[in-house]
Amino acid sequence: MTTKLMAQGQSPLLGKAGTRSRKQKAFLYGFLFTLPATLGFLLFTAGPMAASLFLSLTDYSIFKDGIRFVGLDNFIRLFTEDELFWKSLKVTFYFVVLKVPATIIVSFAIALLLNMNLKGRALFRTIVYLPSIVPAVATSMIWIWLLNPDLGLVNTVLRWLHLPTGMWLYAENSVIPSIVLTTMWGIGGTVVIFLAGLSGIPNQYYEAIEVDGGGWRHKLFHITIPMVSPTIFFNTIMTIIGSFQVFNEAYILTQGGPNNSSLFYIFYLWRTAFRDTEMGYASALAWVMFVIIMLFTLLIFRTSKSWVYYEGEGRS
Amino acid sequence: MKLLWKIKPGLSAILFLMLLLSACSGGGSGGNANNANNEADDAAGGAGGKEPITLRLTMWGNQNEVKAFENAIKRFEASHSNVTVKLESIPTDYDTKLTTMIAGNEEPDVAMMESATLAFPLAEEGKFINLEDYLNSDPSFSADKLVPHISYYAEPGNLIGLSPGPETFALYYNVDMFTDAGIEPPPASAEEAWTWDEFVEVAKRLTIDENGKNASEPGFDPKRIRQFGISGANGWWGSWSNFVYGNGGDFVSEDGTTFALNQPEAVEALQKLADLVNVHHVAPSPVQAKNVPGTNIALQTKKVAMVIDGQWANMDLGVTDVNYDIAVLPVIKEPVTTVVGGMFSIFKSTKHPQESWELVKALLDPEGTLELNHKGVWMPAIRSWYEDPALIDKWTKDSPGRTAGYKTAVIDMLLEHSRQTPTGYVKNFNKIMDIVTPALDKVWLGEQSAQEAMDAIADKAQAQVQGRRDIE
Repeated sequence: MTTKLMAQGQSPLLGKAGTRSRKQKAFLYGFLFTLPATLGFLLFTAGPMAASLFLSLTDYSIFKDGIRFVGLDNFIRLFTEDELFWKSLKVTFYFVVLKVPATIIVSFAIALLLNMNLKGRALFRTIVYLPSIVPAVATSMIWIWLLNPDLGLVNTVLRWLHLPTGMWLYAENSVIPSIVLTTMWGIGGTVVIFLAGLSGIPNQYYEAIEVDGGGWRHKLFHITIPMVSPTIFFNTIMTIIGSFQVFNEAYILTQGGPNNSSLFYIFYLWRTAFRDTEMGYASALAWVMFVIIMLFTLLIFRTSKSWVYYEGEGRS
Repeated sequence: MKLLWKIKPGLSAILFLMLLLSACSGGGSGGNANNANNEADDAAGGAGGKEPITLRLTMWGNQNEVKAFENAIKRFEASHSNVTVKLESIPTDYDTKLTTMIAGNEEPDVAMMESATLAFPLAEEGKFINLEDYLNSDPSFSADKLVPHISYYAEPGNLIGLSPGPETFALYYNVDMFTDAGIEPPPASAEEAWTWDEFVEVAKRLTIDENGKNASEPGFDPKRIRQFGISGANGWWGSWSNFVYGNGGDFVSEDGTTFALNQPEAVEALQKLADLVNVHHVAPSPVQAKNVPGTNIALQTKKVAMVIDGQWANMDLGVTDVNYDIAVLPVIKEPVTTVVGGMFSIFKSTKHPQESWELVKALLDPEGTLELNHKGVWMPAIRSWYEDPALIDKWTKDSPGRTAGYKTAVIDMLLEHSRQTPTGYVKNFNKIMDIVTPALDKVWLGEQSAQEAMDAIADKAQAQVQGRRDIE
């Protein structure tokens, strides 16, 4: 479309009188300005990706001399022999299933609260966002302290209130929910995006509901949620991608334990690549995860037509 | 078509840039960018005596350690005027970054290595110099000058690394808590060490619930404990290996062919440790990844009366406001302490093996890193520093990290009752432990007995057993 406009000399940038040399100049500038990003993408994303796709078909190990092409052996081993691959996949899916709805619902709820006309709203917004700029290592260390089953603050308070205590990060059945809980601490970024979506809703819709005699429930379900559905859509996709790539928590909090019940996929991949130095196999692991994430993203894109509402297009 | 034509100059620009970049990286192939520089330097300085050279040294460690290394390097450079040492301190993700360097053929000349991670995989690919040749031919140095268990062999006769110092395990305790409870503190010498039962008995008396009842009294509430008798015994293999060895057990059989942690000696020791948590209720639940709270905080806040930890804990304890002392570990059958520690290795790709060896020797010299030895985090690598009273004084006197029990509980234990770290002789250690550690989680949590857990994984672990490094 742009090229057609340009060819007809109607590019809004150039005006109707744009000559060929001006067009060329504009193209050159455009090209130059995007060059850093393009180069960055090619060198640091596309290049390494292509390299890892190639390596996933080899037995490349950093310390060994020479690379042998092994075809699909890595993928076959992964699907048929590697118990830890399935275990880590299961653990990661469990994490995603808990983490994504929790993040979307909690951060949307917080955003709704922060969008109200409260006194000190700016302060509350700062407080909610603040944890997400604290380094993950620092917050994780604090969570280790808080969730220590015997000496930690959380259990001490629960014991004091005569409530049942938990093993938190130290039991197989509670480690993933506990990790999800610790990540709730850093949802400030998602909240901010929701806030941006919420502030874009024109007030007259709410006024119309009030005139019609509707309450907050009507406002929420008939105005707010449909109007921010593009934001929900965006946040859901970003959270899914981020959750599949969960790493820090296993690396810092649990080292994958207890009994491999927090052996997240990317943590396992990292261990394979950098401790066991099996780069070829790790590349195969990486590509499987890439495909999984792509499938999920695609799935959500496909379903989005039925629940994401874009103003001006209507629901189809 | 026109568009394509327009892109052409751009395309060629990209191609040119890529060419440029690949040329750059191509030039660096073979760790030799800096070696090439060295050669240039060599040529330039060749006129007068020795040629100036540069050695790259990578290490991990905290600020104190970096500072001590810098001092040691300064001493080294003063006596080797032609050598400049470039210290690259990598405090976090050391293995990841070193791996990346190796992948780019940019390995250092000398590197601190960890026996549990990269050292042996690299050694097996022949990346390190055999230090035995240097050790044997150096008139100023010999193997018998070193303390036990700081030499790492990939196989008999192939010495791949020397540790700048051993680290042993010991029992730390809060002196005031023992005094207040009217309990005799743990003995500091191996001869008088507590038996396991004596130890459990004391641990019980020092474990106290919210109502002030201790674990040996009727009515004690194990769900509401405010003070624990002991911590640090389980979780990490470093800690529990002491007791497996002390009960006559091992990770693999003597001939290196069989997985041995499911054998009675090892199982009994592991079960005793798990019982501290689940039967006697004298130890907190296992904490996997991080030692939180740290030994110094646990003792200072009187949350725990005794902690099993490595010798290095003395540094933090020394600067913490707590009246602590150090004792020998309780004994199941034999007094044993496992010796762990990083090592220095020389990459085969170095252009200057002799100077690298000189550097390793300098780093092993306790004089150079005296501050670390004195503060408590390190111990000297040289035997005379444990035997000559004047030298012992040099690194133990007037140090808050060297308490009354230190001489017998640490020094004598190291000299007389120490065992090599399993990482140093068990081949494929990581892969075996990838199977053992998760299974033991169930034991520490009291969900399975040690026998059940180890039997359940014995076949899988056996499949990863590849022999021992200390036998032919």
